[in-house]
Amino acid sequence: MTLFTKLDCRLCEQLKAKFDLAALQVKVEVLDNHDAGALAHLAWHGLVDTARKSLPVLVLDDCSTVADYATIEHHLADAARQRGVYYQGATDQAPLCEGGSCAMN
Amino acid sequence: MGVVTQLPAEKRQSLKAVVKSDSTDQALFVRTSEEDIAGWNRQRIVDALLRETFVDRDTAEKISRDVEKTILHGAVKTVTGPLIRELVNAKLLEMGLEEARRMHTRLGVPLYDVHQLLLQHNKENANVPHGPEATNLTLAEGIKKEYALLHVFTPEVADAHLSGDLHLHDLGFIDRPYCSGQSLEYIKKFGLNLPHALSMAAPAKHAEVLLAHMIKFAAALQSHFAGAIGWDAVNLFYAPYLEELDDKAVFQLAQMLIYEFSQQAVARGGQAIFSDINIYWEVPKHFENVPAIGPGGVYTGKTYGEYAKQAQRFAWALFEVYKGGDAAGRPFFFPKPLVHITEKLFQTEGHQAFLEHICEVASLKGNTYFVFDRGETAKISECCRLSFKLEASDIEDAKQPWRMRYSALQNVTINLPRLAYRAEGDDTRLFTLLTEHIKLACTAHEQKKKFIEKLLALGKGGPLAMLAMDLDGQSYLRLHKCSFLIGMVGLNELVRVHLGQELHDSEKAIKFGLKVIAHMNIVCNKLAEELGMKFVLEQTPAESTTYRFAKLDLAHFPEAAAKVVQGNRESGEIYYTNSTLFNVGSEMNPIRRVEQEGLFHPLIEAGSITHIWLGESQPDKTALADFVVKTFRHTHNDQIAFSPEFTSCLACGKTSRGLSDKCPYCQSENVDGITRITGYFTKVSSWNKGKLGELHDRYRNDQRFTSCAN
Repeated sequence: MTLFTKLDCRLCEQLKAKFDLAALQVKVEVLDNHDAGALAHLAWHGLVDTARKSLPVLVLDDCSTVADYATIEHHLADAARQRGVYYQGATDQAPLCEGGSCAMN
Repeated sequence: MGVVTQLPAEKRQSLKAVVKSDSTDQALFVRTSEEDIAGWNRQRIVDALLRETFVDRDTAEKISRDVEKTILHGAVKTVTGPLIRELVNAKLLEMGLEEARRMHTRLGVPLYDVHQLLLQHNKENANVPHGPEATNLTLAEGIKKEYALLHVFTPEVADAHLSGDLHLHDLGFIDRPYCSGQSLEYIKKFGLNLPHALSMAAPAKHAEVLLAHMIKFAAALQSHFAGAIGWDAVNLFYAPYLEELDDKAVFQLAQMLIYEFSQQAVARGGQAIFSDINIYWEVPKHFENVPAIGPGGVYTGKTYGEYAKQAQRFAWALFEVYKGGDAAGRPFFFPKPLVHITEKLFQTEGHQAFLEHICEVASLKGNTYFVFDRGETAKISECCRLSFKLEASDIEDAKQPWRMRYSALQNVTINLPRLAYRAEGDDTRLFTLLTEHIKLACTAHEQKKKFIEKLLALGKGGPLAMLAMDLDGQSYLRLHKCSFLIGMVGLNELVRVHLGQELHDSEKAIKFGLKVIAHMNIVCNKLAEELGMKFVLEQTPAESTTYRFAKLDLAHFPEAAAKVVQGNRESGEIYYTNSTLFNVGSEMNPIRRVEQEGLFHPLIEAGSITHIWLGESQPDKTALADFVVKTFRHTHNDQIAFSPEFTSCLACGKTSRGLSDKCPYCQSENVDGITRITGYFTKVSSWNKGKLGELHDRYRNDQRFTSCAN
């Protein structure tokens, strides 16, 4: 799985805090002003417009994509359970992103 | 410009008398640039050097004496201004005064070149015919090009252009912005009220008059912009004028609009106005609640949302006209119709019939451009693929649509294959070179902007008075809104040099190509933030640039370029693949091409397109409609266009399908081909060599859509 994130993205940070992404073998791609590789990877999955609207975005192993925060959390929680990796409980309601920072510039 | 003249004997005698007191040579006379015959006066050299350069008086005096000596010893019978200037420049060079020589340069065209231009067709732009007006245009462009490279741009930028590292588009139009997109609402509200015009027209009261205003305004805009003139939501903004017209009259109006634009080959340089009309079947969300302006520039009391039916009637009629083609059944070259495919289109009654209608036109004549506005995206499209995406402030402007005026100030294209030759397989070197060239392109943009600002500052008395007119409280050209385009040529060849594979060969090649374009996107954004200018990537149309770069690279990087340049080297019909397109000859399924080329499009914010070459085939309209819907729903492609080919017989006047050497009706060999060159249809006889090479290589999707329909 690949998780596309951004440095000042509150929702991305929340996911990183809840899950041990390395243990789940989730590759984290940070979309910033330096990494053409991450942006190219995003474009390869056809997710540029999606990321411009909201982040984080998760690409599953079957190449399907999830952009909804709660669904991403659900997928990661499933993966954590399967692998026996500890995680903090999923939220009932997706947190709000303030100031529009949870989207690619 | 001065020219060499041999004067008749009697005139010589009189001149001798005039210059009798001159101690240098009484037989000398000079034809000056003021179209006068003057006696020899060494002081004029001194004056020119002091006026035009920074050399000191003693140096100027010395140079003038040296030149005078050269002329005397050379036993020259006739001296011209250009000759004196050449001699002075040679002296400046001898003395190591390079900067002074540059400032003292005379811009002009060699006699031989003018002779060639008068006789032969200039094929740099296939939209320029051959004729006296076109020659004027080419000559003027030649001088302005030289001026731009010497005076507007720094030597670093000019040299990069001349050597083919990058291409500064439309240098011959250095004193104008690149292209313009606007709304009919401007002339509906303000009438035709142009600076320096001999008369002023109040807002149109009738549809035909509005059309006349639109055409004249477009011609005026063509005189102030180098490239395309685009119009937003044309069918919608005409709608308030159509209520009283029956279907026949609406069709007549549509026919007039298309013929007027397509027959404007009497304007600048005999060149048809590169015109685009944006068309919507639905009323775009941002115009739904906007008060409509009707006849006489008066609000009708309704909103545009209430004019959906009238707008649809006009859209349908326009495509009815496109479907028939011109009097010989050929496709209309201009205005190009750009239909926006949006989510709302599919929720609007009659959309399937309309979609099939425009797809029938695409199949029969190729005119339709399909512009995909997914999600909340809204844009104005024009040129061969350029689009201005509307930001929040633009949507606010939409409440007063006459304010919606967008322009790209300049277009600079980077020669990508050359970067790969220089990088020699080293990634770091490649991306460093790419960054350096984007920076240089941005420097070129800063320099052009500064120059245009200087012209605009002259206001209503200056050369850009029309762009400075401020009927709505701000100048027509809203400089703060202008885009600065960075284009690319030959991504396919860059990847081939660097990885040994073309884009269509493997996922690895596509991924590397995406990384190159992602890097360009990131650097553009960084520089935009740093310099406060809107630098955006565009797939450059590059009608002649793909040829120019390939030719220059074969000369400067012969070994490396010979391996990747496309086309036929023996005939000189060579080219690089345009922008981020895949090899035009690769036998790709069209939906795969649309899908894979479309992966690049979201990174290229100022517009991209995928061409589907149809050749002789004439796909079923429902198959094409299905293809368009799939493209909208399942790809990220920005725009697509289908391009059939035609043969136009110059003997019997008939038009047939496909490109043939002979007319199938009368067997005459006096025929010309017609198909899309970059973004527009034109006659193949006007194409440059590079594009001819590409035409030969294009993979035609002859049978693809038949099976799709089945």
